[in-house]
Amino acid sequence: MSGGDVRVESVRYAYGDLEALRGVTLTIRAGETVALLGPNGAGKTTLTRLLVALLRPAVGRVTVGDWDVARKRPDEMAGRVGYVFQHADQQLFARSVREDVAFGPRQLGRAAASVVPVLDELGLMPVAAVHPYDVPPPVRKLVALAGVLVMEPAVLVLDEPTAGLDRQQRERVIGALRRRAAAGVTVLVVSHDLAFVAELVERVVVLREGRVAADRSARELLYDRGALAALELTPPVTVEIGQALRLPGAPIRTAEVAAALRGTKWRESAE
Amino acid sequence: MIGYLAGRSPLHRAHPYTTLALAGGVLLIAFALTRPLEMWLLVAVAAVLAASGGREVLQSSARTALLLSLPIWALLFVLYGVLGTEPRIALGIMSLSAPGMARALVLGGRITAIVLGFLTALGTTSPHRLVEAMTASGVPFGRTFLLASTLTVLPRMRERARQILEAQQCRGLRIGGSPVARLRALGPLALPLILGALAEVDEQVLALDARGAGGAARRTALEAPPDSWPQRLLRGALLVAVVAAYGWKFWRMRG
Amino acid sequence: MTAVVTLEGVTFRYPGAAREALCGVSLGVAAGEIVALAGDAGAGTSTLLLVATGFAPRLVGGTLTGTRRLAGRCGIVFSRPWTQLTGLCSTVGDEVAFGPASLGLAREPVLASAGRAMERLGITHLATRDPAHLSGGELQRVVVASVLAMEPDLLALDDPAAELDPAGADALYALLPALAVGGMAILVATPDLERAASVATRAVVLAGGRVVADGPTHLLEGTGVAAIARAAGCPPPYPPDVPSLLRRVGR
Repeated sequence: MSGGDVRVESVRYAYGDLEALRGVTLTIRAGETVALLGPNGAGKTTLTRLLVALLRPAVGRVTVGDWDVARKRPDEMAGRVGYVFQHADQQLFARSVREDVAFGPRQLGRAAASVVPVLDELGLMPVAAVHPYDVPPPVRKLVALAGVLVMEPAVLVLDEPTAGLDRQQRERVIGALRRRAAAGVTVLVVSHDLAFVAELVERVVVLREGRVAADRSARELLYDRGALAALELTPPVTVEIGQALRLPGAPIRTAEVAAALRGTKWRESAE
Repeated sequence: MIGYLAGRSPLHRAHPYTTLALAGGVLLIAFALTRPLEMWLLVAVAAVLAASGGREVLQSSARTALLLSLPIWALLFVLYGVLGTEPRIALGIMSLSAPGMARALVLGGRITAIVLGFLTALGTTSPHRLVEAMTASGVPFGRTFLLASTLTVLPRMRERARQILEAQQCRGLRIGGSPVARLRALGPLALPLILGALAEVDEQVLALDARGAGGAARRTALEAPPDSWPQRLLRGALLVAVVAAYGWKFWRMRG
Repeated sequence: MTAVVTLEGVTFRYPGAAREALCGVSLGVAAGEIVALAGDAGAGTSTLLLVATGFAPRLVGGTLTGTRRLAGRCGIVFSRPWTQLTGLCSTVGDEVAFGPASLGLAREPVLASAGRAMERLGITHLATRDPAHLSGGELQRVVVASVLAMEPDLLALDDPAAELDPAGADALYALLPALAVGGMAILVATPDLERAASVATRAVVLAGGRVVADGPTHLLEGTGVAAIARAAGCPPPYPPDVPSLLRRVGR
């Protein structure tokens, strides 16, 4: 079993009387990219918190690689699972962006050699010496992400990583995650941003009322209007274009749609 | 634990000035009393006050007051009781200083009474009603907001602290362990808490200003809490009690 | 169309900042317009909102040169709902009434304004709920209602749907045209160019604190559709949304 395999076996979890997870079974192989979708209250956050030992399953087992999460503390899980919270910008505290990003590896007793490349990857070099609270909130989000990437975890779990980011910042995040996935890191994202989901993931797991309601390839789900409507989601523009123009191959990424449209005889703009 | 707990007790329904006056009265009288018996009578009064706030308020205030008081009682016991002056009373193998114990009881009781009084006031005074009461009295909004915000700051900070704790653990920070390790963990916990709170204050000031909070016009009180003459009488009586307590203290000191 | 806010040659620098956040910006927004402000991080879009509404330099400090004319009241909505609550109100109704109450109006008109605003946002059913227990989407609607209750002439929104799920975001942006029709001038700064393009009547693009474009919404070239069109060899101007792209393809 690889360090990046995630197995959730018949897990149940309740907050007092409120059942958040009612028997979830899920296997994510090392290197897979998965999006976790579902309405609010479906149990997505509960599931992700179980993966880092912030919660312990009442029933069932959660394993990451050969680690049984029930036997680990969150700071121990940090060695294998990198969790980026939705409001991760709240955790920043060091005197500079660079120092804050180096915090994680230091806790794990590792050298912070990879800080500069990661800062560069996310476009943070211009603010490396700036105090985290002097940079705008979207940039703080990138700093928080950098702080986790630099720990080189086998599994990455991200909660709404693109909320509030502009186009360029989103591209950087997508690039960073794609590179990690290509290198064998397991990536799990909770996100409403279907355009981002389309660019990054191969597989979508839908949670509803504490259970897995669907587990399909991203391509299949995004082209299923009915399924998306049931989730109160609208297809990303790539899928809208693909459906309207009946493009072959069910393209979901920008590059795929652009390739399918190359050679089109474009009409003049009316404006 | 600390902060407003909704309820329908007499204290909850009382005018906010009354509950604050009661807490203030306990505070001032506590400093006027100098004998163990009187002091612990005051503690009993504070406990009765807490009870009149309802079961939740009583449990919460009593628990917190005890948690805060116990270490202080222990310290006072050692400092004054064990290490105090003659005359001493024998208690089995130990001997305790009689005046020392009296002093310890007074100081310990004072802290307990004050803490209990304030926790009760905090637990039964809704920030919203306090703002309405102050607005109806014509207090400028700035002062109103300052006072009311201090009532809500603790629960908010506690929630933030919890979130920050989790985030830092997920970055490998070990909570617990040796005292040195715990001390080292303070920075990554306290700093974001304070910095984040300050950053939020910036945004909140803008938002409040946008809602006219700093404006020149006099705010309209939409639901001024009803005051009543018995309550006004009670507040007046409290003032008299405070004055009487100090009068008695100085008279005893003289004689 | 009457201009609600006019900026002429406005230059603004934050206290202690090395460079100017806004440089020679001239811009006017009229009643009934929905202006989308676009620009990368650091371009000055948030600053422009603060300057247009008068919060800069009054509350944030800094130096401003140039002229700014505002006719009427303004309201501003930020992206994080919970920092915009007063923290003092135990019900949504009280929270929404807070703004009008600050204006010193009598009780009846205050409650009436609050009631109207809640109806507009479809949150009348939340009136007795505690704001602390609401979801992000509901909370942001409360915030917008609280601002609308003061009946501003200029409404500024800084990435208002950043914390919302898609349904909530759509609902929020869908409100704007109705408000504009009612005579409000609306300025919305957001990286969500798709949604902005779907409701805006005009686009202003900033870069490095300067206005680099001011005109029709196809100027919002940063949309996903524009990126696809550009990559597929479409000649500029790039279509900003799916219908325009389909027209350019010939469907």
